[in-house]
Amino acid sequence: MSDTVIVARGLVKDYGRTRALDGLDLEVRAGEVYGFIGPNGAGKSTTIRVLLDLLRPTAGEARVFGLTPAAGGPALRARIGYLPGELALGGRISAGEHLHHLAALRGGRGRDAIDALAERFRLDLARPVRTLSKGNKQKVGVIQAFMHEPELLILDEPTSGLDPLLQYEVLALVREASARGATVFMSSHVLREVETVADRVAVIREGKTVDVDSVAGLRRRAGQRVSLRFAEAPDAAAAAAIEGVEQVRVDDHTLTCLLRGEPNELLQWAARGRVLAWSARDRDLEDLFLDVYRNHGGLAAAEGDHDAR
Amino acid sequence: MRAEGIASFVRVWADHRRGVTGWGAALAGITFMYLAFWPMMGADMQAMVEGMPEALMRALGYDRIGTAAGYLEAVVYGLLGPVLLLVYGIGLGGRVIAGQEEDGTLELDLAAPVGRSRLYWERLAAVWALITTLVAITTLAVLASGPLFDLGVSVVNVLATSLAMWLLVGGFSTIALAVGAATGRRGAGVAAAAGLATLAFVFRSVADAAGVDVLAALSPFAWMLGGEPLVHGLDALGAAKLALLSVVAAPLGAWRFARRDLMV
Repeated sequence: MSDTVIVARGLVKDYGRTRALDGLDLEVRAGEVYGFIGPNGAGKSTTIRVLLDLLRPTAGEARVFGLTPAAGGPALRARIGYLPGELALGGRISAGEHLHHLAALRGGRGRDAIDALAERFRLDLARPVRTLSKGNKQKVGVIQAFMHEPELLILDEPTSGLDPLLQYEVLALVREASARGATVFMSSHVLREVETVADRVAVIREGKTVDVDSVAGLRRRAGQRVSLRFAEAPDAAAAAAIEGVEQVRVDDHTLTCLLRGEPNELLQWAARGRVLAWSARDRDLEDLFLDVYRNHGGLAAAEGDHDAR
Repeated sequence: MRAEGIASFVRVWADHRRGVTGWGAALAGITFMYLAFWPMMGADMQAMVEGMPEALMRALGYDRIGTAAGYLEAVVYGLLGPVLLLVYGIGLGGRVIAGQEEDGTLELDLAAPVGRSRLYWERLAAVWALITTLVAITTLAVLASGPLFDLGVSVVNVLATSLAMWLLVGGFSTIALAVGAATGRRGAGVAAAAGLATLAFVFRSVADAAGVDVLAALSPFAWMLGGEPLVHGLDALGAAKLALLSVVAAPLGAWRFARRDLMV
């Protein structure tokens, strides 16, 4: 029990007649970086707001460090660093004053880290928050989420709106937090943003978890684009019968297909003929997610019955 | 010194310190300006209103405008003071919870390790502190005008009337904050408070003009000025009724705010 930091079971959230979460399940283990991926409107921010006790679930249950967010209250939120998806900063005070205010809400925790983080992100603390650009506001958001070195970081689309350099810097912060033992729960609508740092990824769609896997596992299942050029026209039907081979296309003497799993059988079959050229490249994980978003049944349905797990 | 224990209170103050300075200057200036007319206009004023129908005179609160206390009440405490302070206070009350929830600027505060009740009461206290500042400035302007323009009203009675105005303005501002916090809609809070305040103002005017006691009994403006505190001093019952506005509205807003979905 103590090594799961976030648990959700059958989480349902209705806004009036709209169902935002429809029985969502989650299990985030202590110390892992967990990607939470889904298209816009899938329920990512709603889930996060339930975890922070901004929203109360209609049905089901969420627990953070073993407590429901409502029961955990301020003491629970003291252990969390949160970066909202759409960060709004207002008021006439400066960025520095704003960060000091947020530290004061935490009883002063994190105050000593403000200057160093501001320097690292090149944020001018003297500027009024109202006049900051979107990127600079996001820096304020990132700094306040990390400054008190929380045990759990909940980051809603942390790299959106940042230039590549800053994206890199934020992901570096995530790695550092992870290295000191923090658990990181980060959402995104594109896998690319989290795949370099996440250990595991949950895919959600229309308020439900449709799949959970490691990034390596996802990559394996996403498969490879294989292209083989033969001396003589290959037999497409025979190739399609091979385990793990899909989407076979033969164009003159060239066969292209999608390969999931081990290439052994395909290579043995190919070697019976004369192979003039071959290539195999990893498929973009984004393609796999587009499959998932289009299909109802999740990854398993998207890729047929070739799930290797 | 950093006031960590009351960070939410401090934050509201920091966000509004410039605004309150501007409002304070404006209130003091307007009070001063209108009271400066008194030595020139006192006698003429009496002559002017004597031609008016009596009901209209009473509705406008001009029936005693020929006296210093009457002039002060009709101009400052019966109209400009409460109206300007209500515009400020109701706007502020609607803004500091519901308004900031709606525009998203409260999200980090709500996600911070601060209980919702605590955040609510600290922000309400900050609204009261800002209103108190403006009422104090207005009162000082009145007291400074007294000897300058020969008003000849007692300091104690001015303080008593200001106290009643403070409770009235604070009460409607509390309603704006409480209804906003209960609904998450700034518009709902402002509309409720402004609507009730307008109704209260109209009730008192109609009650004065037509002598309808029921309406006067229902009007916080009548609770504030009905006992003529500038002449007779503190009206304790009126003040208690005014305080009741806040005492009833504030906990109801807090109760609902702690239980509903935020940032929806």
